[in-house]
Amino acid sequence: MSDSEEHHFESKADAGASKTYPQQAGTIRKNGYVVIKNRPCKVVEVSTSKTGKHGHAKCHFVAIDIFNGKKLEDIVPSSHNCDVPHVNRTEYQLIDISEDGFVSLLTENGNTKDDLKLPTDDSLLGQIKAGFAEGKDLVVTVMSAMGEEQICALKDVGPK
Amino acid sequence: MQGFPGGAPDPQQLQATMLAIEQACSLIQVHMNPSEAEKVISSLHSSLMPYQACRFILETSHVPNARFQAAGAIGDAAVREWGILSDDNKRSLIAYCLNYVMEHASSPEGYVQAKVSAVAARLLKRGWVDFPDQEKSAIFFEVEHSIRGIHGPNRQFAAINFVEALVSEFSPATASAMGLPKEFHEQCEWTLEVKFMKDFYCWAQAAVFNAADSILSGNASIDEEKACSAAFRLMFQILSWSFKYNVEHANSETKIDSGLRSDAINLKKFERSLVKPGSMWSDILISSGHTTWVLNFYTTARQKYSYDPLWFDSPIAASCRQLIVQLCSLAGSVFPNDSGDAHINHLMHILSAVVLWIEPPDVIASSIRNGASESEFLDGCHALLSIASFTTSLLFDNLLKSIRHYGTINLLSALTSEAVKSFVDNQNEEETWGSDALDISLEIWNVILGDFDADKSPMSVDGAIAASNLFKIIVESHLKAAADSAFEDTDDAEYFHVSVSKRDEQLALYAQIARSAADTTIPFLAQLFSERFARLSQTNGENDPTQTLEELYWLLLITSHVLTDSGEGETLLIPEALQAGFPNVVEVAQHPVVTLSWSIINFSRQCLDPGIRARYFSPRLMEAVIWFLARWVATYLVPLDVSRGQVSRAEIDNVDKHGFQHSRKVLNSFAWENNQGELVLDFVVLISMVALTTYQGENELQTLICQKLLATVVRRKHTCTFIVQLDSWRDLTRAFASGRSLFSLSGRLQRSLAETLACAASCIKDPEASVQYLKDLMGPVAGCLVENASRSDLKSVAQKADVVFMVCCLLERLRGAARATQPRTQKVLFEMGHTVMNSLLTLLEVYKNQSAVIYMILKFVVDFVDGQAVFLDSNETSVLVNFCLRLLQIYSSHNIGKVMLSLSSSLRNELQAEKYKDLRALLRLLTNICSKDLVGFLSDSSIEGSQDIAEVIYVGLDIVTPLISLDLLKYPKLSRDYFALVSHLLEVYPEKVANLNNDAFARIIGSLEFGLCNQDSDVVERCLTAVNALASYHFKERLGGRGGLSSQLMESEGSNGTLQESISSHFLRLMLQLLLFEDFRMELAGSAADALLPLLLCEHGLYQGLVQELLEKQQNPTVKSRLAMAFHNLTNSNNLSSLLDRPNRQRFRKNLRAFLGDISGFMQIK
Repeated sequence: MSDSEEHHFESKADAGASKTYPQQAGTIRKNGYVVIKNRPCKVVEVSTSKTGKHGHAKCHFVAIDIFNGKKLEDIVPSSHNCDVPHVNRTEYQLIDISEDGFVSLLTENGNTKDDLKLPTDDSLLGQIKAGFAEGKDLVVTVMSAMGEEQICALKDVGPK
Repeated sequence: MQGFPGGAPDPQQLQATMLAIEQACSLIQVHMNPSEAEKVISSLHSSLMPYQACRFILETSHVPNARFQAAGAIGDAAVREWGILSDDNKRSLIAYCLNYVMEHASSPEGYVQAKVSAVAARLLKRGWVDFPDQEKSAIFFEVEHSIRGIHGPNRQFAAINFVEALVSEFSPATASAMGLPKEFHEQCEWTLEVKFMKDFYCWAQAAVFNAADSILSGNASIDEEKACSAAFRLMFQILSWSFKYNVEHANSETKIDSGLRSDAINLKKFERSLVKPGSMWSDILISSGHTTWVLNFYTTARQKYSYDPLWFDSPIAASCRQLIVQLCSLAGSVFPNDSGDAHINHLMHILSAVVLWIEPPDVIASSIRNGASESEFLDGCHALLSIASFTTSLLFDNLLKSIRHYGTINLLSALTSEAVKSFVDNQNEEETWGSDALDISLEIWNVILGDFDADKSPMSVDGAIAASNLFKIIVESHLKAAADSAFEDTDDAEYFHVSVSKRDEQLALYAQIARSAADTTIPFLAQLFSERFARLSQTNGENDPTQTLEELYWLLLITSHVLTDSGEGETLLIPEALQAGFPNVVEVAQHPVVTLSWSIINFSRQCLDPGIRARYFSPRLMEAVIWFLARWVATYLVPLDVSRGQVSRAEIDNVDKHGFQHSRKVLNSFAWENNQGELVLDFVVLISMVALTTYQGENELQTLICQKLLATVVRRKHTCTFIVQLDSWRDLTRAFASGRSLFSLSGRLQRSLAETLACAASCIKDPEASVQYLKDLMGPVAGCLVENASRSDLKSVAQKADVVFMVCCLLERLRGAARATQPRTQKVLFEMGHTVMNSLLTLLEVYKNQSAVIYMILKFVVDFVDGQAVFLDSNETSVLVNFCLRLLQIYSSHNIGKVMLSLSSSLRNELQAEKYKDLRALLRLLTNICSKDLVGFLSDSSIEGSQDIAEVIYVGLDIVTPLISLDLLKYPKLSRDYFALVSHLLEVYPEKVANLNNDAFARIIGSLEFGLCNQDSDVVERCLTAVNALASYHFKERLGGRGGLSSQLMESEGSNGTLQESISSHFLRLMLQLLLFEDFRMELAGSAADALLPLLLCEHGLYQGLVQELLEKQQNPTVKSRLAMAFHNLTNSNNLSSLLDRPNRQRFRKNLRAFLGDISGFMQIK
């Protein structure tokens, strides 16, 4: 590998094969993502300390599970690697909300995606349902990481 | 009682009121339904003529809280109803309160008595100007008698309490509100100070005097002691009064010769104001021997009660000591004009008594450790600090010599060492007596050593020895503490930073002590270092070196402080004390500073050896080494020409002191000799590389490298020109540009490293080489971003965590480089920015859901525009402006109308916070684009470009304003940015505002109104600028016969429903309200004048009407005429014309300042 090629994105063609990527703990910042106890989390607090004054630094993460909102904590030596989840967000046009709480979404290539449930929380549910009932053109953002999916944002794109 | 206000009382009703109040009070105490209870109580305060009811409660209720409330209600009601009370009423209310206090003087509920006293004082002040003098004298006649003890100790105490309340009521800081103008309060303050204060003091003196005998003989009753300590407290309170109406002596030269300081000392940590009562007080404070009497009283008493350890904290002891410390601060014309003898005598007297409190320090310290009270010791330290702030170090030292065979500095040294020992022993506890005593005593050293006349009165030999011994004790105690704590875990980072700045402050004060005896302390430090270096090299992996490492860590910190100043933002000089401290050293190799420096640097060099590094260069030790290096390089690698220049100039001044000058020269030039300087710089680069690559994840250390060490060498031109020529530097830049190793740094560090490396380009002399250097440095970074953004499979890989991380790193680097923009490097950096523009837009699209990346793109553009704006020509500007426009459009299309959904409230808050940060970045970007420089450059080129700018800003504003609510504007940072933008906008494009639609216009005007009432004077100033711009535009348009803003504005105001008026009249009303009735800050007067003038010119008719209305509202004829005069002068003096040119604005500024000064006395009400 020549010097100039070294900055290239490392990802190979088999995108999606791995669900996480190792990253040095010291470089993970507040608002970044990290895997704790096999759950994808968003970091809300990082603090550092040392083991004995002349030992090495440790990072103390406080993070929140991006799907279920539970708080998790972890302590990692800052030179070690942490797993960082690949967090993907995809936008779909909302076509329909079915009786049993599933949504029907229009994918980019024209197919529909029907395997996603509406959020269980009442207020979120209310926001989606109300918007849909008013006949607005809604685009939902679906967040996916480590094999889980959830609707995470909603945008009104019309009617123009 | 005759004249008591209120009609004949109805007993049943009184009883009912009392019951209601009593019940409410007891409910509040158990915290049941407090709002309801408060309502009942406040109804009493606000009811009409509640005096009979209050009196009834005061006299009959058994609930002390109810009596307390009743007293308060009398005060509130009387101040409110003052106008309708007859003279008899007022007098009898005051008399009633005073009598009440006297009659119930023995009541156990002190706070009720204090409240009634305070009410009496408040009412007396309210009537102060109206009451004839003999009436006041009658009141004070009674008070004086009681204070002198004629009616027994209880009444004595009550009367003293009343005078205390009176003094605090008349002092502006503690006065209660009365709804009267400032002038009234000032007048009261004046008469009390000039006519009464001294009498009060004499009465208190008499009270103490009378009680002294029985206290000293041990026969005093508790009540007598209570009255006596109250009298001491009153004397202290009177001496704390800020005396204003006295005449000072002219400063005489003789006084300075005597050893008293003429400069005002600013104490860092302790509030200490001089007490300057003026010559009128000379007789009772100085010539009557009052101070001596107080000192003798205390000394005798403490001897008498020495068997009782509790006595030292008793009220009488504490208040007497407080008075003594306050007497130390006496200054000014209270002393006769006699070249300072009387003042020095005064200080000496106090010192001779106070010395008993602090001497011998070791004995006292050990008794405190065994549980004795520390308050006397601490008060003694305070007294010493006061004395030190008046004297030169020589006089300070000599003060004690008349009664001891050693000087004051010796005593101070012993005292400080005890404080250090105790502080070090209890380092983990907060607020111990040791740390208090240490703070005070270090401050005393600071005052003595920071004496600006130090050249004239150098430290005596004994003094230097004392300082040197003290420094040894300091170092030894701290080294011991360091070794003991070496195995503790370090604290959480945030707490750590706070304690670091406190520690640095303390170390700097220690260092000052060390420098005052540099000839012994520096060799001492050198010896300590060499012992520890030797110990380390002997450990062969068997012994744990941790304790030695921690000792070295502390030694490196203190040595940095001794050898260098922290000099935030200044050019560092070699400390004067070190330059002057070694007059006898002629050989470079023997100069202690030189040998100490090289021994530390040579030791540090060993970290380049991987084996040794692994063995004992722990991250923490490296931090100290880096920190030391940064400060050392900044101080001792003196620019060659400067060092030569300095020496030659000095040589002319002092030809005779040859040796002295030689040692200065040695110190200024040793670092560059024999190529040492270059070697050190090479080492700086090598150690940086090592620390950045082999200490993975040690953020603290790497931050020091990037932001302290490298930034220091690059910021100084003379070191930077050397460093860019080094091979090691080339290796570092190459590793950064095209290696992988530095990608392990955190994003923030990537940014500062890029900034530092790019900054160095401006120190490469050859312009082409400089350009090439930057291209080599940043070209690969920009290229990589472009190449990857144009990949065909970007969409499928972009969201992967590693790719996101890489993109963030690249963006951080670009941003760092953009921040390093300088005239010489601007072109190259603009090209760099130009090449990535399209890629950035692509990434903005791809990462629209990755807020971290979006934020970084925005921040890069903000810094890029900020750096480039002033340099660009019209073509480049239009490129940049078009880019920003597209950026804003894309951002807006992604974000308008988006709702974030999340189960977790904290995640939702985080998302909100991210949006808020985006918003701030966008505001910054718009402000940067809008900055006048850019517009100024464009005005001479095509008109197209400037339209572009206006368009960008309006698109931006369209995105931003709907997202900003008035609630968000309460966040200071956001509101500052927002108002900065709006005021820019209105200044530069007022005509665009006229064409805004109603919604947008109303939003801007609404936010301006909000901003004018803001607490932050920056924000108010910006709003005033904006109003000025708007009104000036309107005025000029109308002058030119056009409509200006009037058409637009009528409509928008109409929706308000209240008034159909133009925007200029609207703001005119608002401005007058602001200037006349609110607490307007004088520093804003200039911008207020600028805003008011065009408003006046636009709406002259309305202005006249408003002024008329205001004048008619005034009841008081003198106020009315003064106000009319002030208004008249505002618009008519200084030949004010009706133009908006600069001279006229200046005149109006002057007028408004005078106007505000005039009216502040009677319009501002307290």
